[in-house]
Amino acid sequence: MQLFVLNYARPAEQLEVSAPYSYDRALQLNVLPGGRIAAHDHAVMREFGSTTSTAGSKTHFDD
Amino acid sequence: MTVLVLTSDEDVTADLVVARLNDTGIPVVRLDPADLPGGITLSGEYAHGAFRGYLSAGDRVVSMAGLRSVWLRRPGVPGARAAVPSGWLTEEASQALYGMLRSTGARWMNHPDAAARARHKPWQLRLAQHSGLQVPATLITTFPHAARDFARRFPDLVVKPVSGAHPQEPPRVVPTSRVAPDVDFTAVALGPTLLQHRVDKRADIRLTAVGDRILAARKAVAPGAHPDDIDVRFAPSEEPWRPVDVPPLVAEAVHRYLREAELAYGAFDFAEDPDGAWWFLECNQSGQFGFVEMDTGQPIARAVADWLAGP
Repeated sequence: MQLFVLNYARPAEQLEVSAPYSYDRALQLNVLPGGRIAAHDHAVMREFGSTTSTAGSKTHFDD
Repeated sequence: MTVLVLTSDEDVTADLVVARLNDTGIPVVRLDPADLPGGITLSGEYAHGAFRGYLSAGDRVVSMAGLRSVWLRRPGVPGARAAVPSGWLTEEASQALYGMLRSTGARWMNHPDAAARARHKPWQLRLAQHSGLQVPATLITTFPHAARDFARRFPDLVVKPVSGAHPQEPPRVVPTSRVAPDVDFTAVALGPTLLQHRVDKRADIRLTAVGDRILAARKAVAPGAHPDDIDVRFAPSEEPWRPVDVPPLVAEAVHRYLREAELAYGAFDFAEDPDGAWWFLECNQSGQFGFVEMDTGQPIARAVADWLAGP
């Protein structure tokens, strides 16, 4: 028997590819390979769920 | 005067605010406390009746006296990336960093004490009641018989984690889920369980409060949606978030909640019932907002940046 609420748990979805942007310490921003600010590219944000309410849920629980 | 942003590198939502601050010429230092010690250095001196200190990350240095505001966004655990991490080092690094930052006159979004308290869902529910928000009947219990009795009185229930945290090892998610009427509550004895009367919702509401400003968005339940798809975070839906006006009584209650909670920022979740009433579900003191801004165009990042840049 497990905790009651865990009867409703499901495996977390893992993205098979990593996001196409990386943190630039000089700019203090995540940038795409062309230098564009990743957060301003809505298509990328939607594809990778980077700003969804569950983004970062592994380490922070303020969805 | 500088805005200090405490968050992880991968926090692209914070990027929206940093970029906005950059555009307006407000100095920003962004760092992740996980890099202390190592990528972050600090020093503070308490002598001759005064405190002087500074922080540096990379080639950026900021004096404690030069801090305008601190955005406690999604910071890592101090010391987590140290060469030899330990619980003791984490406590040392945490006390040094946050103790010094508390020694400044900077404004906080949100203050660590307020943030820590505001994460407690049972406390949220009570404060929401006190503030005048409608709260669905809720039970948090380890008594199976109390759960059975609650289910008899409120026959349609959902279950969700008390903390909102998702279990790891292995990584799992626990969506808010509908409880079958004939469920066996015996396992409630194994750990605190949060049961809540299900709101027959026609829409989810995400209300983002930044200082005195509140911006709300509504996501309609899709026609034909499965009644067991309760949790908007995980339910399949093509419905976008759309801006929505906040009922005046809800707005007043939200302001009351924020004042009482001493929060400068809060992302509230409500369920809208068929009568149009908004039922409080929770307030995420550091909730995400990028997904709402993308759909609605609401200037949430700008509102956060304006607050951080304020006097």
